[in-house]
Amino acid sequence: MDGYVASDVELLGRVAEGDRLAFRELYDRHAPWLAVRLGRRCPDQGVVDEVVQDTFVAVWRGAARHRREGEAAAWIWGIGIRRLIDRLRRQPARQRELAAAAATDGTAGTVPSAEEQVLLGVEHGDLGRALGRLSPELRAVVQACVLDGLTTREAARLLAIPAGTVKTRMLRARRRLREELA
Amino acid sequence: MTTWHVDPELLARYARGEVAETQAFSVEAHLPTCAHCRSALGPLTDRERHERVWLEVVDDLDAGQSTWVERLLVRLGVAGHSARLLAATPSLRGSWLAAVAVALGFAVVAAHGGHDGLVVFLLLAPVLPVAGVAAAYGPGIDPTYEVGVAAPMSGSRLLLLRSVAVLIVTTVLAGVAAVLLPGIGWEAIAWLLPALGLTLVTLALATATGPLRAAGLVALAWAGVAWAVWRLTDDGFALFGQAGQLTMVFLAVASAAVVAARRDRFDQGGAR
Amino acid sequence: MSVEVAGVAKHYGRTRAVDDVTFTAGNGILGLLGPNGAGKTTLLRMLATVLAPDSGTLRLLGRDPGNTTQRTQLRRRLGYLPQEPGFHRGFSAFAFVDYVAILKEHTERRARHDEVRRVLRVVGLEEVAGRRIRALSGGMRRRVALAQALLGDPALLVLDEPTAGLDPEQRLRFRELVSRLAEHRTVVLSTHQTEDVAALCQRVLVMDHGRVLLDGPPGEVAAVAAGRMWMSSEPPAGALLSWRTAEGRWRNLGTPPAGAELAAPTVEDGYLLLVGVPERKAIA
Repeated sequence: MDGYVASDVELLGRVAEGDRLAFRELYDRHAPWLAVRLGRRCPDQGVVDEVVQDTFVAVWRGAARHRREGEAAAWIWGIGIRRLIDRLRRQPARQRELAAAAATDGTAGTVPSAEEQVLLGVEHGDLGRALGRLSPELRAVVQACVLDGLTTREAARLLAIPAGTVKTRMLRARRRLREELA
Repeated sequence: MTTWHVDPELLARYARGEVAETQAFSVEAHLPTCAHCRSALGPLTDRERHERVWLEVVDDLDAGQSTWVERLLVRLGVAGHSARLLAATPSLRGSWLAAVAVALGFAVVAAHGGHDGLVVFLLLAPVLPVAGVAAAYGPGIDPTYEVGVAAPMSGSRLLLLRSVAVLIVTTVLAGVAAVLLPGIGWEAIAWLLPALGLTLVTLALATATGPLRAAGLVALAWAGVAWAVWRLTDDGFALFGQAGQLTMVFLAVASAAVVAARRDRFDQGGAR
Repeated sequence: MSVEVAGVAKHYGRTRAVDDVTFTAGNGILGLLGPNGAGKTTLLRMLATVLAPDSGTLRLLGRDPGNTTQRTQLRRRLGYLPQEPGFHRGFSAFAFVDYVAILKEHTERRARHDEVRRVLRVVGLEEVAGRRIRALSGGMRRRVALAQALLGDPALLVLDEPTAGLDPEQRLRFRELVSRLAEHRTVVLSTHQTEDVAALCQRVLVMDHGRVLLDGPPGEVAAVAAGRMWMSSEPPAGALLSWRTAEGRWRNLGTPPAGAELAAPTVEDGYLLLVGVPERKAIA
């Protein structure tokens, strides 16, 4: 076992059989990024902690049903973001505040520094700049629908806006990006 | 495909939440596909929080294995620990409740068959919680009885908690059945006070003879009295008239007093 | 002394299940050794406050179990493993131990769950905590039952036949566990395995027909058979009991003939003599 690093899929297989150690390993690998990523959509740490907790309990219980190659992280994210949406839905007024806060977090709208642009440039470059020039509302919708993989309805719940608004904003965002990148 | 990884400095700032949205997009689009960057992120996050949440996860896993009865009770607002005590009650299990429902079903059918059938229903309904109390707690009923006796929680508290729950549940079931009776009249609730009265008498007797024997005696006495009254007055409903209901109230109050006074009796394992 | 028993008796009809028993016990392990029906379980149930004696006095951890308040206080520091531990259907190991923890008045959820996990860890069952008890093996079920007895770190542990149904490896494990526990506690356990007694107990009460036949260290039990055990190559006629050892020779109990090769007596030998070998049926 020295130096051998099991893949996520292998770990999931063991978790499906009730292996607590494998589960702990999986938790150590995925809980940190899940917490940070969810934290950027919901600034309430307490809620994020509970969602992370619920997510991993669901991972433990559902490990047997999910064994597809290479998708562990995406699967975990899917569970996590949907739990967050459910959680936020139950507190409507607060949800609006949080969604608004998350969508316009302090650093939004700042232009990345030249250095950062270089760093980004290798992977996303023009797209990154184009995204940066979108308004925060449009960017939030792009993040929800494209990055987070949510359906229109789920994005609407997360952002506390009507589904129709999500659709129109996505269309506007696409048009803007096309214009920018043309 | 180049093996691009997130710059450590950027990753650190991402972990702290100090990164502009578009850069965050970039990192977040990358992480699900790169185990290397994910593991690099680990040490940069709050370890204490990580451990704390882990304990909650483990607790949830271990403690979360509970029966449907328990989950339902918690959903209804019962405190977690009481719910667990109740979930262990044999007469709150699905099989028992199904049997009660079946018995009530037969009684309703009988009631639709005629006047006498209705009396059968009224006689049956108060006995059901009595049977439930017999099957709620005690040696031979609760497999963990011995361990329970040796524990500091008083046996009376456990028996009373379970008996109240059994009474409530059985009453609800009988109430549902009563709705199906022909011609809603006072008959629909004439069994309520007797149910309460008989249950309390059973508990009072149980301080002397244990729940099982007490329930048997009460059921027998009820049947005997009902038969005698029916014979003497030729009216099955006589038992449930005003005099009958008042007697039940009296019995209920007297029994409650006895239970309160003698509740220590449930605490030691009796003659055996 | 944590346990003070004086002249305690219990009868069922005309049968004297426990007949005028007197002894004391402090830290360490006290073993009750005796055949079925000797009164071990009845005595243990009295020590566990599950049964009240008909006569005599009992003082446990300085308290009188006949007094309601003191009995409740006593029960907070008591752990009991009955002879036939029962479990609720459908409960997992964790849920069951949690249930007992509630009975032991641990009402605060988080602290209680930590305590449940602790005792399950002590008996080595934390990996299967979430499994249904009916899905566990007999040995594991007994360990679950032992775990509940350890809740709340009791000062007095009463264990009725704790090694019944355990295989040798599990029995060894159990001995290790109980020895560790007994360093700071009083443990009273019953068994009819003389090896358990020899390996574990600082003191033994040999019981039969409700009475104490001997009260002393295991060596004293063995000493009863001093000079009454001998080896031979053929089963001799006058022995009370003879059996063949693995080496093919015969080990005999009784009055040895002159010049016989005496053998060092074991606890089992002494025990057999004490409970009266001639009355026992033939041992296969």
